[in-house]
Amino acid sequence: MASTYTPPVQLLIDELGRLPGVGPKSAQRIAFHLLKIPADDVNRLAEAIIDAKKRVRFCERCFNVADSTLCPICNDDARDSSLVCVVEESRDIVALEKTGEFRGRYHVLLGAMSPLEGIGPEDLKIRELVARIEPEGIEEVILCTNPNTEGEVTAMYLARLLKPIGLKVTRIASGLPVGGDLEYADELTLGRALEGRRSVED
Amino acid sequence: MIVSRLELIDFRNYSEASFDLTEGTTVVLGDNGQGKTNLAEALAYLATLTSFRGAPGDALVRVGTDQGIIRATVRHDDGRESLIEAELRAVGRNRVQVNRQKLQRVRDLLGTVRVTVFSPDDLIIVKGGPGERRRFMDDTLVTLATKYDAIRLEMDRIVKQRNTLLKQAQKAGHRELPTDIEVTLDVWDAKFSEIADQFGYARATLVSRIAPMVQEAYEHLAGVASPIELRYEPEWRRTGLKAALTAARGDDVRRGVSTVGPHRDELDVTINGLPGRTHASQGEQRTLALALRLAGHRLATERIGSAPVLVLDDVLSELDDGRARALLGHLPDGQVVITTASELPPAARADRIIRIAAGTIVPGD
Repeated sequence: MASTYTPPVQLLIDELGRLPGVGPKSAQRIAFHLLKIPADDVNRLAEAIIDAKKRVRFCERCFNVADSTLCPICNDDARDSSLVCVVEESRDIVALEKTGEFRGRYHVLLGAMSPLEGIGPEDLKIRELVARIEPEGIEEVILCTNPNTEGEVTAMYLARLLKPIGLKVTRIASGLPVGGDLEYADELTLGRALEGRRSVED
Repeated sequence: MIVSRLELIDFRNYSEASFDLTEGTTVVLGDNGQGKTNLAEALAYLATLTSFRGAPGDALVRVGTDQGIIRATVRHDDGRESLIEAELRAVGRNRVQVNRQKLQRVRDLLGTVRVTVFSPDDLIIVKGGPGERRRFMDDTLVTLATKYDAIRLEMDRIVKQRNTLLKQAQKAGHRELPTDIEVTLDVWDAKFSEIADQFGYARATLVSRIAPMVQEAYEHLAGVASPIELRYEPEWRRTGLKAALTAARGDDVRRGVSTVGPHRDELDVTINGLPGRTHASQGEQRTLALALRLAGHRLATERIGSAPVLVLDDVLSELDDGRARALLGHLPDGQVVITTASELPPAARADRIIRIAAGTIVPGD
């Protein structure tokens, strides 16, 4: 398609359009917004991006975002190092941390297995996870990948890899949202929740 | 459940029209190209969120406009009414509202309105390739329980992922597969089997329930007792898909596609012991297709305890007099909408007749 904008504008729209969750229309809207606001504001945004990119890196141990070699969670000695929760992305750690329920450490895979996107097990931080087991004395791995096709397959792969090593491997439960109504749950979630039922303690 | 009123705004050739449908049989009369099938399509859209003609979303919006609306008043068996509104956009996401409340996901509408459509195109169920019969089984499953829609989508996704993986393996091209690909395939196979075994079981159960109903419907329509057999017995179901995938792995890798599984199944339909697809006459094929649809409709009625809306789109022109009379003389209970270009045969008992021309209702009836 021939561009209707001058090259710098089109380039900006194209670059913005490559961001996750930004479609062509939003890209166009953001681009024109940026062109309209004062140059100072744009510079601040540009600097923030460059600065974050320069200073933030991945934790050498768990691949969470960090501003030094290790992330704050890996640096925290109060954490139970025998328990590791495996997630797809750093943002999942944020979600899990909000619960305040988990006192172990994390491991970020940086994705999930998806042949369509060209992501195989060797593209994920799986080897690095295995390498952590011995030195850190990991006893249980909780698989917290997303409950979709790719996340499930990744969890299955990890279970097959880790169980023979003699680790306790668990999968996060999936089911009903707390505070929700049964009638509003979709059939698959409800079916899953029924499958994963447990007996009530007296 | 019945649809008591259907309003179309900028849908296909309708700029604005509303239809009051009776709870019995409504007949929509009009010449070809006036909008009869469009009306049937709008009703079916509320049930499946797709066009039964396989038209893309933007084709549903009236030419020259960028948004169309299907608004339906639905009366449930307990007397409750709901107002369902689907906004179809030529570009961008569609929206659905129930009682003026926007649904979070458009797919949440599935199961609210249930519609069985029979149209001349359904001949393809009998005459077309195995994919058409798979679609017949799966669409019928979705009317019975909407979870099958999600299961079907997930299965398609797994097959796509697995095929991509097989193509990578094919390129690797060794006699022995590299271990990492081998192990990755194992996991995808496990996931595929888990869902396919469940889906295969659902299809098999459906076919065994529906078979006697097809036989009965066919006999009734054709007036002769030709033995009809429906057979859904994929080889892989004997062992479960897991074992079948293991056995087929060499083949799959060589060809770079998944050669066994629910996506390759066939539903054999025979009449007088011969395959309907190749050996039945056109008239027999049409009657058989209608019998399949009517059986699906009956099963849905029995299982859910209330009849879906039955839409017979332009079928009278395709059936001979005897069969048309047999069909119209014994319509199943529930709401029926019949569209036709010709005047009704005497056997038809219409509770209401609506005439349409060029996307508008002709007043006077």
